[in-house]
Amino acid sequence: MDIFFQQLVNGLTIGAMFALIALGYTMVYGVMKLINFAHGDMVAGAAFVGLAIYTHVMGEAVSLPAVIAIFLLTAVAVAFFGIILERAAYRPLRNAPRLSAVVSALGASLIIQNGIMLVWGPQMRIFPELIPPLSWEFGGVIVSLIQFLIMGLSLLLMVALYLFIEKTRMGAAIRAASIDQDAARLMGINVDRIIAAIFIIGASLGAVGGLFIGLYYRGITFNMGWQYGLYAFVAAIMGGIGNIPGAMLGGIILGLFNAFIAGYVSSTWADAFTFMLLIVILIVRPTGILGERVAEKV
Amino acid sequence: MKHSDYYGYALFFLALVILPFFLDSRWQAVATTFIIFTIVALSQDVVLGKSGMFNMGQALFFGLGAYTSAICNTKFGIPLLATVPLAIIIPALFGIILAGPIIHLRGDYLLVVTIGFNIVFVQALQNNLLGLTGGPNGIFGIDMLQIPGIDSGRQSVVYYICLAALVMVLIILKNLETSKAGRALHYFREDPLAAESIGINTRAYKIFAFAFGAGIAGLAGTLYANQYSAVSPEAFDFVQSVLFFSIVIVGGSSVPGIVLGVFVMFVLPEIFRDFATWRYFIFGFAMIFTMILRPCGIWPATYGKVPAYILKGKQHGKK
Amino acid sequence: MAKNDLVLENVTKRFGGLTAVDRLDMEVCQGQIYGMIGPNGAGKTTVFNCITGIHPCEEGRILWKGDDITKLPPYRIAAKGILRTFQTIRLFPQMSVAENIMSGRHVKSAQGWWHGIMHTPKSRRDERENWLKVEEQLEFFQLHEFAVQPVQSLPYGLQRRVEIARAMAAEPSLLILDEPAAGLNDKETMALLELVFRIREMGVTILLIEHDMDLVMQLTEKLTVINFGKKIAEGTPAQIQQNKDVIEAYLGSDDDD
Repeated sequence: MDIFFQQLVNGLTIGAMFALIALGYTMVYGVMKLINFAHGDMVAGAAFVGLAIYTHVMGEAVSLPAVIAIFLLTAVAVAFFGIILERAAYRPLRNAPRLSAVVSALGASLIIQNGIMLVWGPQMRIFPELIPPLSWEFGGVIVSLIQFLIMGLSLLLMVALYLFIEKTRMGAAIRAASIDQDAARLMGINVDRIIAAIFIIGASLGAVGGLFIGLYYRGITFNMGWQYGLYAFVAAIMGGIGNIPGAMLGGIILGLFNAFIAGYVSSTWADAFTFMLLIVILIVRPTGILGERVAEKV
Repeated sequence: MKHSDYYGYALFFLALVILPFFLDSRWQAVATTFIIFTIVALSQDVVLGKSGMFNMGQALFFGLGAYTSAICNTKFGIPLLATVPLAIIIPALFGIILAGPIIHLRGDYLLVVTIGFNIVFVQALQNNLLGLTGGPNGIFGIDMLQIPGIDSGRQSVVYYICLAALVMVLIILKNLETSKAGRALHYFREDPLAAESIGINTRAYKIFAFAFGAGIAGLAGTLYANQYSAVSPEAFDFVQSVLFFSIVIVGGSSVPGIVLGVFVMFVLPEIFRDFATWRYFIFGFAMIFTMILRPCGIWPATYGKVPAYILKGKQHGKK
Repeated sequence: MAKNDLVLENVTKRFGGLTAVDRLDMEVCQGQIYGMIGPNGAGKTTVFNCITGIHPCEEGRILWKGDDITKLPPYRIAAKGILRTFQTIRLFPQMSVAENIMSGRHVKSAQGWWHGIMHTPKSRRDERENWLKVEEQLEFFQLHEFAVQPVQSLPYGLQRRVEIARAMAAEPSLLILDEPAAGLNDKETMALLELVFRIREMGVTILLIEHDMDLVMQLTEKLTVINFGKKIAEGTPAQIQQNKDVIEAYLGSDDDD
């Protein structure tokens, strides 16, 4: 029983990270109908940027204000890169066939990933221990401070995003643009600004996810973007791509599933089982758990 | 085919035939790999270029063929040449089995599911499935493909075997293009609803396309096993699938486009070894620029291949 | 029941809460030119989609030559000799006119999937025969000079012709035309009129949706009028013109497109 609750905690932690990253995928897909393959690499980049800020800007300080500063600066930097990415790789292809945008995204992904490698080298780097390695035990289950932080902050951010999307004008505009970009434009919504907004939000959330990955796993490599990115993307698809609560749900489910497989079956089969879960879900419910069917007028 | 096409193919073939005489053993190996990957890319084109299905898991079938040959040869002692039919049929069967439940999915979902299949496959290989696949190190010590009377261990012979396979694949693809089945693929790519309404069983033909591409990729797998005498999981992971996918889209859904794509992706880095670490970085830019400037690929597919007797409007005797 | 009859019995189609087609009965007899008219959004194209299997109906039956085709998928209905054109032209854009028409020969071709790998004398003969049939259609529809041009480069009126040629290549017994005159000028509409009569002379039954009332009156022998998914009138063009319910539904229908 201990294993169950331990894996539950681990799963929620990982799930929270997946959810944060998945939100970036799902927001971009919702409005632009584009799989932003480069998102995972930006998440990886965030970890390296965070490392760089820690080393060169913060002078390796680990105080609370320093940590907060690292988070904020990284988020801003990654959001900035997100805007550049959109302008350079996606905007020129707004009216091109979908496949072109997919390949452009893959190209951007290769650029970012290999850019990281060229700057920081191909070997694994160690992310600084910004959070003290404290942990507490609750009836046989160990929960670390980092895990509390990840789960708590992720929850906060997700709630904030949910409120933003549901309760604000900009949020309504985003939802409108997700349903029908042209109609939204005709209603006076500045779609370019909406797209900029979703890239900023998605990239920032992803950046936080990347920093969490650094804090939790400590070892970061230039190509980890595809690994985590793929998982997060799977989470977004499972929840129904384009659906924001779906991405959160998908992330949590995926994290839990991954943890339980690793705990009960075998960690060397975790990827395989996760994808088999995805395949089953898509066969049974092709548009994802919370996804909606869209009818085509003939 | 137009006359200019004939000359183009003849020249290309001639160049490939005389190539080994100008190359040393190491570069012959590069050329051999070039041909093997061209075959895989051509198989990817059947599913992606002709049929318009977002398949990003073709390395799975490539690997299935390679591992089938490897296992049959090392575990059951079957000579490599005899494993070829199995290396084609087993991937083709998997193509049918895997495509069946997922073929109706929308493009982006299909993409992720094919990546998923690829990842499951590679992880199964790494876990030494059924004790057959050899774990993360793969299988080595595969015999060479033996042709009686010829010293089949020489690199140039291996090269010519692959070249012969390429020619055969090109002929088969030509047959596909001038057949009812091949045309059906193009039709449902252009407009699935219109294709259904004109009488095409799109579901059946989509599965056909997957199986067709899988079989060809499987053949390339045997050639790969022959060339390297070993197979390992990383050679067939989804990163490879992404490359094959990109080659077809960036190069264009045509034989010249694909050959060009394979050359740029696999041969150029061998020529410019010094730039190897910059390889993918530069490719990324190339991919983006190509999509912006030439969305249909560098050398897109062409249509309007209509038999000459239709065009000339001549009277032909009714039989 | 005569041989090549299309019979709709109590056909009902719902999309969620909306009843698009409501208990429709209709019978198209062999050799007729039958029209379906009604205001925009009345459900006419939905009826066509039910017949051709694109959106199978929830209730009711559709019979063709005595067989129940209600739940058949579109490709099987085409094989049974029912071919259609679309309101928004749906050709295969990048492909040439001849290749588009060749798709109509798919149901008539005897080739198996294995001929995609290797040709046989039988498959080569089949290819030749089918291309010759395509040539017949090119002649009949006067499309010969455009044979190798991509259809997306052709003007709208020509694209319409190609779409009909494609359907005719499949040798239909019933040809369903969804607003064939939409987007055509007067001259082109006249040509369409003659074309439809010629097709009927070849023994093909024709069912069409149209908004151009002049065309409908000249072309059709019998009409069903639909509004809000329900049949509100049925009869000859002359009868329909006098029908009060129809006039009310249209409230001053326009003749032009």
